Amino acid sequence: MRSLQPFFNPKSVALIGATDRPGSVGLGICKNLLEGKSRRKIFFVNPYKKKVLERKTYPKITEIGEKIDLAIVVVPAFVVPKVISDCAQKKVGGVIIISSGFAEIDREGVKRQKEIAEILKKANIPLLGPNCLGILRPTSKLNASFSPAMPKAGEVAFISQSGALLDSMIDKALLDDYGFSALISYGNEADLGVCDFLKFLKKDKKTKAIALYIEGLKNGREFIEIARETAKEKPIVALKGGKTSLGQMAVTSHTASLAGSPEIYSAAFKKAGIFEVETVGDLLGVSLALAWSSCCSNAIGVITNGGAAGILMADWCERYGLHLPKLSKKTLRKFENSPIMNPAFSRQNPLDIVGDALSIRYKFALETMLEQKNIQGLIVVETLQIMTEVEKNARVIIEAKRKWPKKPIICCFLGGKFTEAGVKILRRNLIPCYTELREAALAMKALIWRENFLK
Amino acid sequence: MKNMKLLGFEETKKLLGRYKIPLVRSKLVNTKKEAKEAAQKFGYPVVLKISSPEVLHRTEKGLVRVGIGRERDLEKAFDEISRACKRIKIEGILIQKTAKGIEIACGMKRDVSFGPVLMFGLGGVFIEVLKDVSFAITPLTRKEAIGMIKGIKGYKILKGYRGKTPVIFSELTKLLTQLSKLSIKHPEIKEIDFNPVFVNKKKVQVADFKFLV
Repeated sequence: MRSLQPFFNPKSVALIGATDRPGSVGLGICKNLLEGKSRRKIFFVNPYKKKVLERKTYPKITEIGEKIDLAIVVVPAFVVPKVISDCAQKKVGGVIIISSGFAEIDREGVKRQKEIAEILKKANIPLLGPNCLGILRPTSKLNASFSPAMPKAGEVAFISQSGALLDSMIDKALLDDYGFSALISYGNEADLGVCDFLKFLKKDKKTKAIALYIEGLKNGREFIEIARETAKEKPIVALKGGKTSLGQMAVTSHTASLAGSPEIYSAAFKKAGIFEVETVGDLLGVSLALAWSSCCSNAIGVITNGGAAGILMADWCERYGLHLPKLSKKTLRKFENSPIMNPAFSRQNPLDIVGDALSIRYKFALETMLEQKNIQGLIVVETLQIMTEVEKNARVIIEAKRKWPKKPIICCFLGGKFTEAGVKILRRNLIPCYTELREAALAMKALIWRENFLK
Repeated sequence: MKNMKLLGFEETKKLLGRYKIPLVRSKLVNTKKEAKEAAQKFGYPVVLKISSPEVLHRTEKGLVRVGIGRERDLEKAFDEISRACKRIKIEGILIQKTAKGIEIACGMKRDVSFGPVLMFGLGGVFIEVLKDVSFAITPLTRKEAIGMIKGIKGYKILKGYRGKTPVIFSELTKLLTQLSKLSIKHPEIKEIDFNPVFVNKKKVQVADFKFLV
């Protein structure tokens, strides 16, 4: 296998097409790359300008007197073959072609793409792209892309066929305060594709879970095989774009017309041991849960301080096939005999500890539920009442997780402005916390699914 | 479907036999006399249908007669079918014993990216109107085959509802895993359609089949 290390932690990077023209992709990449200037040498290539962003430029990559690990190409498509030949001559470790104007536009583009892929293949240089956003590796401060910002380092790797989706995920991650181990946009897949990156991430210590956005696969059978091997080590979550409605399926008894591609992709994900989701939010939400939590068998306790939230959560649990065991006699007795509880508590699972619950009651409920042997995981729901101690509750949950590391806790802090602080504390401590009940139930479903897959 | 042909009856039968996929007792006949002899051997009621490499949908064209209960009806049905298929190239008329059980359907299609993909569902209205089907990608393990069967809503019907006996799941599972093996071993077969297949508590029997090559 060719090393993909140059794409994740290069010691030296050359940007071909560096420019300071306002509003250009080239300028975006210049700025992004410079964020990592303390970690690596950065060279700008531009035959028309002596300086870009106050830095010396080189007319050609071959004029740079040092070894180049990674070359990033962002020149117009018709110039790409020429600069690629230079890269081959320079024997760079890897190439990212950001430029578009290849197989995605016309036959001429297909030809051009073949030509550059051929040149690099001969030189045994791995290629990412063309027509891609690039790659981001927060832990090594590498932003070899034209993304609007750099997210913080985290546990989820995101491989996306779409670059724009990646951008928006980064923006969301900045707001919601979580990070990524890597973000990869693979574009036209002239060389490196999903499978290559799955193989890399399988062994990547920084990555705990992998999120995939896929529209189509070139070699489905190879994908299933590699994804399955990867899934044994790390959970994979996928979102498939281009799923057509049932209406598109022809209504004959013919197998051919019934087997529309959405079903085939779902069947493929299932075979590969991939958890499939339907929304962008779920892709990230479920990936985070799988990255942060241990998996568990299907026996879940639910704690809530609001009746309706408990009912709605029970609905989602049933829809997603989560089993909520009854509270044991011992657990019930403990609750009955405690002055911490409000006597109006629900005496069942979901356990409603009543709206006036302070952190001390959350703590008591959490510990008592987790002590019950047949409860393997916990969903903690918080609604915002006037006395609710949002931040303190978050700390109580963190403590409980420390005490029972094998029993995952998934939270749903229902609310907005006033609950945000609690949500952030939890996430910072790697406890999945959602603001929608369904998302929490789905995350728990994923943990149970994972347990069954690994069995 | 263009440029594809149906595999003939004898070849199909041989292939099914090789993969131990059970077929309803069937015989290809050319004359009324042969038909009557076969019917006597199988026992009434029987089914008559034309066998032609050109006709994909027999039912719609009135080329199938089911529930033929006695010899007189058989003669009449034979004449009618012979008349109906005068302008069609046929390899003969297929006579089959009437099978009992729940109708299911299964088949194979080749996907450009994933190769042979299997489909499973209850027959008739369930598949055509409700689209209650499951899919899986080959090669199919036993566990995956069970997953396919359990993956349809109609699973409850197969399991037996209101005190009915469940169908023979081991044989149903085998049908799917064998179909998977056949599909992988025979890339020349582009599509397979078994519809209906009859399944009851004792056995699984393919009644209608299409192999597109």
